[in-house]
Amino acid sequence: MYKSTGFISFVLRRITGVVLVLYLFTHILVIGSATQGKEAFDATLAIVQGPLFKIMEIALIAAVAYHAFDGVRLLIVHYFNVIDYRKSMFYAAFAVAAFFTAIGGLLILQLLLYPA
Amino acid sequence: MPDANSLPTTATVRIQRFNPDNDKKPYIQEFKVPLTADTTILDALHYIKAELDGSLTFRRSCRHAICGSCAMNVNGRNKLVCKTPLTREMDNKGRVTIKPLPYLPIIKDLVVDRTSFWEQYLRVKPWLIPPDNVPEKEFRVSPEEVEALHNAETCIMCGACYSSCQVIAMTKQYVGPHAALKAYLRVLDPRDTAPGERLIELSGEDGVYRCHTIFNCIDACPKNLNPTQAIETLRKLAQKRQALEAERAERQKTLALPVKSNE
Repeated sequence: MYKSTGFISFVLRRITGVVLVLYLFTHILVIGSATQGKEAFDATLAIVQGPLFKIMEIALIAAVAYHAFDGVRLLIVHYFNVIDYRKSMFYAAFAVAAFFTAIGGLLILQLLLYPA
Repeated sequence: MPDANSLPTTATVRIQRFNPDNDKKPYIQEFKVPLTADTTILDALHYIKAELDGSLTFRRSCRHAICGSCAMNVNGRNKLVCKTPLTREMDNKGRVTIKPLPYLPIIKDLVVDRTSFWEQYLRVKPWLIPPDNVPEKEFRVSPEEVEALHNAETCIMCGACYSSCQVIAMTKQYVGPHAALKAYLRVLDPRDTAPGERLIELSGEDGVYRCHTIFNCIDACPKNLNPTQAIETLRKLAQKRQALEAERAERQKTLALPVKSNE
């Protein structure tokens, strides 16, 4: 195993990619229950309103944010000669993703702890 | 380099051993070697082979970082051991861990099977394919054109980049940073007549688009070369292959002419 910042970034990119695909299936399953009528949809929706799912939503934000900003990093690498800044760009992608996860996570926690 | 007086007199070299005849899997063996400020890791390996354990197997040839034989994994990083001082790699307990290049089949101890490395190298046709009208004396290539090739031409084929590549870890079908760098050298060479053919080979499924820009190759290269930039350049050139071929054909009309006096 050749461990480096790039390796961590690469593994995270793969894992978050798979997480996003799995989320998409779950999402379609939940929304798709609407085709079986109002009661079925409400019942399915009630399952995913629990605290466990709220916490998982924060993880989802982290996955989306990291995957998105790592993608932006890759685009910059492809179109500009920024290879001298490769390490800084990995850290920038981590930091920006962490920032957005914190904002989204705090909003979700607020809803969870102090329901309107 | 640390002060010679404060230096410990011995270093502990931890080497991954593997003899396919006797061992089921590799194991770590420790050796104590005498240390001076200018001992390289290769010196330590030589000492072990000569004085402590003659069965230790490793590749080396020139001892001044040009043959590319002695690339090994030192403390988790691929390096040429002949130009790496032992003191620079020691931790505060005076230990250094040496393993063979990762992701390649081990033949014995620190020697790995580099077959896939050379197969991928040959795949890009690493030689120059010159035009038919070879001039009597020399080709006229501009300093700018030579400068563009500078990134690639000092590669010594040590395999440090290849075996640090995460894509190589997953598939040996991938062209690899070393071959991409060599292809870059030939594609950008104004004397080469087959840049289009090379780009077709490189833009396939196992070509340059498979790179995940992990940058391990740049960090591993003992010659400070930049295979990732070569791969990015080849990706862009592969998009406009026909334009490049036309430009090359045009350029080669003046390649064999003498330089004008006003230039």
